[in-house]
Amino acid sequence: MRRFEFMANWRIWFALSGVVLAVAIGALFVNGLRYGIEFTGGTLMEIRAPKAVSVGEVRDALRTVDAEKGRGALIQPAGNRTILIRTTSLEPAEQARFIKVLKDELGAERRAIESVGAAWGRQITQAAVQALVLSILALLVYISLRFEFKMAACAIVALAHDILISIGIYALVGREVTPATVAAFLTILGYSLYDTIVVFHRILENSSKLVKLTYSQMANESVNQVLARSINTSAATLLPVGAILFLGGETLKDFAFALFVGISSGAFSSIFTASPLLALWKEREPKYTALRRRAQKAAASSAG
Amino acid sequence: MSPTQWNWLTIGLVALLVAGAVYFIYPVSKSTKLGLDLQGGIHVVLQAVGTAKSPVTPEAMDRAENVIRGRVDRLGVAEPQIERQGEDHFLVQLPGIRNPEEALEIIGQTALLEFAIVEKNYEGLGDEELNEAKRQGEKVAGPTLLTGDALSDAFVSFDPTTGAPIVNFKLKRTGSKTFGDITTKNVNKRLAIILDQNIISAPTIRSPITGGEGIIEGIESLEEAKKVTLVLQTGALPFSLDIVQNQTVGPTLGRDSLVEGLRAVVLGLIFVAIYLLVVYRVFAVLAWISLGVFGVLLWGLMTVMGVTLTLPGIAGTILMIGIAADSSIIIYERIKDEIRAGKTMRTALETGFNHGFQTFLDADLVSFVTALILFYFGVGTVKGFAFVLMLGIACDLFTAFFFKRSALALMGRVAFFRKPWMIGLRARPQEAA
Repeated sequence: MRRFEFMANWRIWFALSGVVLAVAIGALFVNGLRYGIEFTGGTLMEIRAPKAVSVGEVRDALRTVDAEKGRGALIQPAGNRTILIRTTSLEPAEQARFIKVLKDELGAERRAIESVGAAWGRQITQAAVQALVLSILALLVYISLRFEFKMAACAIVALAHDILISIGIYALVGREVTPATVAAFLTILGYSLYDTIVVFHRILENSSKLVKLTYSQMANESVNQVLARSINTSAATLLPVGAILFLGGETLKDFAFALFVGISSGAFSSIFTASPLLALWKEREPKYTALRRRAQKAAASSAG
Repeated sequence: MSPTQWNWLTIGLVALLVAGAVYFIYPVSKSTKLGLDLQGGIHVVLQAVGTAKSPVTPEAMDRAENVIRGRVDRLGVAEPQIERQGEDHFLVQLPGIRNPEEALEIIGQTALLEFAIVEKNYEGLGDEELNEAKRQGEKVAGPTLLTGDALSDAFVSFDPTTGAPIVNFKLKRTGSKTFGDITTKNVNKRLAIILDQNIISAPTIRSPITGGEGIIEGIESLEEAKKVTLVLQTGALPFSLDIVQNQTVGPTLGRDSLVEGLRAVVLGLIFVAIYLLVVYRVFAVLAWISLGVFGVLLWGLMTVMGVTLTLPGIAGTILMIGIAADSSIIIYERIKDEIRAGKTMRTALETGFNHGFQTFLDADLVSFVTALILFYFGVGTVKGFAFVLMLGIACDLFTAFFFKRSALALMGRVAFFRKPWMIGLRARPQEAA
């Protein structure tokens, strides 16, 4: 089987990650994230008209109800006959008036309404952030106990890498962040760690070979051993997610998009980020530095 | 028991469980509960807002929950769900409801009914003018003499002369006496009937009412009268409720989402099946069966535990397909490694499983820890999603240990399967040797 040099070329992989991360962080700063009403508060109405309608027609229909309270309705087409209307948070009675006007004037059917108070949005965002921080801490402890601290730290770095890239790409393409997106990010969190653990498991198993091989060589061999599995698993996971993304309906697309980016990044980072990072870090330990010197000397003498 | 017997036993056990799961799942339309996002309905989160006089206490929350339950029952919803969230929130889910806007109004209404005597200076005003003055902050009526707590029943009837809707109410025994006293003392004065700070009507008391029955006139429409009746029947909430979040999904959108979600699941499965076949050839069939066993067990478990299927749940399931396929992939890659290292196919099938199992046991446990934390601290969708993930991981490990392991060991005994190309290896090192 062909051997690939994953550890020796770490500068290339880190540079590649660096570029993508720079773009992601740049997009976060420049574009920012577009939060759904679940986080900001507001009302979102989805209606479907019997025939194609323009934004102007909807605006005209809403003129009376909207102007009176200054709800600042934002009208956005979503397909030919489907229209999304965003306003500040509406009371049920007001929602009913909007829907009635749209039905009377355009014959439009209510598809969905969602309304969220601003305080509620803040609460669930807080809960999500709390869950994220706690799960990272718990994982740090768990992986440290089961494997070792350095592996835990590298796995978390890879995780941060994947989450940042996913969020950054969201900012880049300007997709709206919804609770489904949050669920997707959490899945990425799980998948990224899962994938890294599979690689680290093999590294741990191969530790007995650390007499003949340096830590980098051993890590490289481990990654090569799990490479076929990594490729196959990524394919097996990305195929269904891709099916939703390219062939599924509108409603699931946001979720699939986040997952597609995150899983690709997760598969990349286990091999190209977490493993070289671990090898570099471990080789700073005196034991493994000595091992590398011996190996270099042996290589030099055999060459000379 | 010999290893072979043990293997047959576990496979038999898995087959029984699968049969049991199918029994619970069938018929699908009855067993599988669809979330609001898939069948349409409303989802509303209410926050209790107390005042110094009526603070939000656990007891008040209990009372409020009963009131909400009563109102929802009277709305005639098939499977309502009313849940307490935290100290002062309620989550109400009403699937398949026809008139969501009205339902929201009814559930959230405080429905505090008060009776008071109109002050002398205001006696000359009409009902509308009285209300207007009250809204301006003027003190149009005296202290509250009786509240809706005294009511025992309410129903709608019509004024025999005008045909306008009327709400009739009956009072409990003590309330009836108080009402009799009030009306006796205040003959020829006006009695303001106030619902949620709004004067509905203020008729003049012509003679004492001691029969314990009364009527409320001045109601705009029959619909309004029905609404008032319903909230009077179920009693007042101990505090006001703010709607902090509500979501209405129309039935057509729900159906579209369900169809799209299922199509994505089926397509995903087909793609994964084809990919596995290309890479693992004959052994792909075992991976397919394992995926099937995994899927049926997960579905059955969700049915038995009463988990509601939502859109994020479907998406989570699609991801679980990948993870379940991965447990086969890890094992097969390991088996290939062992064969390349010179082991016979038969040994490789067993040791490959054991080594591979340890790998994804660790990986699965890490995912499980994540899911567990998300379940404890997450809200709404995140919670449901995390729960499906935990069940999925459990089913994956179970299927691997009790089905895949035994099946691989048994296949190792059959000469037909002991050819490395059957699992996708090109070279056949040990056969050549």
